[in-house]
Amino acid sequence: MAQAGTRNWTRRRTAKRERLEAVRPFTSGRVLDPGRVPEALQALLRPGDRVALEGDNQKQADFLAAALAGCDPDAVHGLHLLISSISLPEHLDVFERGVARRLDFAYAGPQSVRMAQLLADGKVEVGAIHTYVELYARMFVDLIPNVALLCAEQADREGNLYTGPSTEDTPTIAEAAAFSDGVTVVQVNELVDKVPRVDIPGDWVDLIVESPRPFAMEPLFTRDPRHIGQVEIVMAMMALRGIYERHAVTTLNHGIGYDTAAIELILPTYGEELGLRGKICKHWTLNPHPTLIPAIESGWVESVHCFGGEPGTERYVAARPDVFFTGGDGSLRSNRVLCQLAGQYAVDMFIGSSLQIDADANSSTVTEGRLTGFGGAPNMGHDARGRRHPSPTWLDLLTGEAPVVRGRKLVVQITQTFRAGGTPAFVESLDAIQVGKDAGMPVPPIMIYGDDVTHVVTEEGVAYLYKAAGPAERREAVAAIAGATPVGRHIDQRRVDALRRDGLVALPEDLRVDVRRAKRSLLAARSVEDLVAWSGGLYDPPARFRTW
Amino acid sequence: MTSPAPRDWAAMLGRTSFIELEARARAVALLDDGTARELCGPFDRIESPWLEPQGVVPESDDGVVVVKGGIDGRPAVVIGVEQAFQGGGIGEVSGVKIATALSLAARDSRDGTPTAAVLLLETGGVRLQEANLGLATVAEVCSALLELRALQPVVGVVAGALGCFGGMSIAAGLCTKLIMTEEGRLGLNGPEVIESEAGVAEFDASDHTLIWGVTGGAQRTRTALADMLVLDDVAALRSAVRDAVAQGVPDEHRSQRIGELRARIEAVDPADPPEPSKLAAVWADAVPPKGGLR
Repeated sequence: MAQAGTRNWTRRRTAKRERLEAVRPFTSGRVLDPGRVPEALQALLRPGDRVALEGDNQKQADFLAAALAGCDPDAVHGLHLLISSISLPEHLDVFERGVARRLDFAYAGPQSVRMAQLLADGKVEVGAIHTYVELYARMFVDLIPNVALLCAEQADREGNLYTGPSTEDTPTIAEAAAFSDGVTVVQVNELVDKVPRVDIPGDWVDLIVESPRPFAMEPLFTRDPRHIGQVEIVMAMMALRGIYERHAVTTLNHGIGYDTAAIELILPTYGEELGLRGKICKHWTLNPHPTLIPAIESGWVESVHCFGGEPGTERYVAARPDVFFTGGDGSLRSNRVLCQLAGQYAVDMFIGSSLQIDADANSSTVTEGRLTGFGGAPNMGHDARGRRHPSPTWLDLLTGEAPVVRGRKLVVQITQTFRAGGTPAFVESLDAIQVGKDAGMPVPPIMIYGDDVTHVVTEEGVAYLYKAAGPAERREAVAAIAGATPVGRHIDQRRVDALRRDGLVALPEDLRVDVRRAKRSLLAARSVEDLVAWSGGLYDPPARFRTW
Repeated sequence: MTSPAPRDWAAMLGRTSFIELEARARAVALLDDGTARELCGPFDRIESPWLEPQGVVPESDDGVVVVKGGIDGRPAVVIGVEQAFQGGGIGEVSGVKIATALSLAARDSRDGTPTAAVLLLETGGVRLQEANLGLATVAEVCSALLELRALQPVVGVVAGALGCFGGMSIAAGLCTKLIMTEEGRLGLNGPEVIESEAGVAEFDASDHTLIWGVTGGAQRTRTALADMLVLDDVAALRSAVRDAVAQGVPDEHRSQRIGELRARIEAVDPADPPEPSKLAAVWADAVPPKGGLR
């Protein structure tokens, strides 16, 4: 017996033992009865618990989320949820019903309108909106979970998990819970005698339950080439000549969108003509974008490390193990945290689309009435100051005062000056400023800070912001390619010419880009059928992308 | 779902997509080289008077191009609907252009210059902004088509994922021969219309597997509502159109085989419809081929 005044050092361990004891009536070994999951969760959880609910960018522990939302608020209340991506209605039902109170998250895309409403109604207290790795990092510091609700493709009876191509965040969250005496509960699509490979060892896993249906998974990284038009193509041509070729970018990350898909699709055509194969775009950190298939097939791509999987690319990826990270079983192994880390420290360029850019090149996807959060873009879209290894591309953007100089990562924003419906992409004040104020946030939710942005590409040209002598010149360079938007319409032509002479701005003719060639025939694939053909029939597009 | 049927991937990648071309280029591509001549083109500036008051910018060809030329040396007219303008919707002007072109081909055919017609039917049907006039012109199109098909073949082509729906699907049904691609769709009511009228349980317009299973080119060809299934490739379409024109006018058109079509309808219980993949067999059973065992 502990003496009075002696601290008990094993409270978490004791609590874990008690919790597992409480769910014993609903289990056989580690296996939970799927019909009694709500009762089991009620027995397991304690008011005020910190619960990591796996809602990744792509896959969702939807069965457990629904069970949690169904808990009796009298028994389970005041939970503090950690969800990286709020994608399902159940994620917010939990708050509406009073089961949970506090929330820390990274992204709320599909639920962003309701999220803003719940916040306004005082139903949810938001700790903070994070970037992906930032939220996972905090799970090891000041947001250690008591319980983790996870998902995987398969488990055996010892709890060994096979997460399949979309491993994403599961090992990270499992580690945070398993080694802090938290309880890990995993919904699996299938209980098997032997998993094809062990992605998470069984002794990190306390409880498993076979879900009545496979976990939800969205094909977020599939873009149908049919929707790529001449404007995306001319921007892709300029990006290729003005950035990829000029800075010899070999290691990179592409954000998702039609702009970057267009770049992927002109590598085998325009890029080949320019003789760039083998000189650029060799090592990638990105999900298995179907639009990258033609570049892979024509020998551009040496390696791809993935944040997650992408529905339909399973057979293709498994057949290209020299390019993708795959396990002994042949299927893709992805890992969001490690891929984000790679994106921060090991790649020389991030390029992605934005919804709004201001005169200082601050960029945001937050628009009026939506609390979307950030996801991983800020992780990729910044210059990681902890980097020390040089590369020709990094050294090409040398900064600092001699003798203490350092290189710099290319952070590129690409967008048309006006988006669909005639909404300007370049604005005097980002919607994010007002949204941040309305939501009572201490700082506005900026996705990518202007001072991290090195280049901006529009259909007008490329701005080389890293070359600007000061903030005034940066603003001029942004304005020079901002077209007829409020940011661009006042710049004087003579200033634009001066910026071109000084190399801060390049128009298509400066880059020897013939805009007349910006036709859809320049795309290596013009439809999803073409992507299937490029893959030799290995790519199985999800039904919604099939038009045959 | 099963993996896709084996295809010739090299041919797919080597092709020049037909549907990627705009309507004018598609029409020209089907005609013998150097023979194309546009009638009532954009510089004749016959625009729809009904669009501008409704806030729609009109186009100078009203979304339909009529091009005369030769197909394998025979006189022909190709009439192409531009799907990029108003979803290929047919209005007063565009409808009359189609009907008149067909009538003129019939007149020439009677006057000793047999002139076949090819209809490129990428259209959602009648343009909503011109509802009644559009409907009236579609009736004229069908009437002129019936007049011509007795004299010369009228070949329909549905090549793109937009498909051919509404009133113009009736015109497609009247064609002497109908050529489709796997991406092409054909149906009277579009999936979105059915869903909004009858509910998502009746027809889920977001379920691509279902939609193409019912209205897609492969299914329409399997069930003999279309005649030829070809790759979306200029050379393949050109050769299919040439073959269809060369086959001339049949003794009986599909749309005249009323008994056969009625037997097909009777073979299906709408309360318990067959799987799309089974329909061809159900219909083959209902209507044995001529000279067959039943």
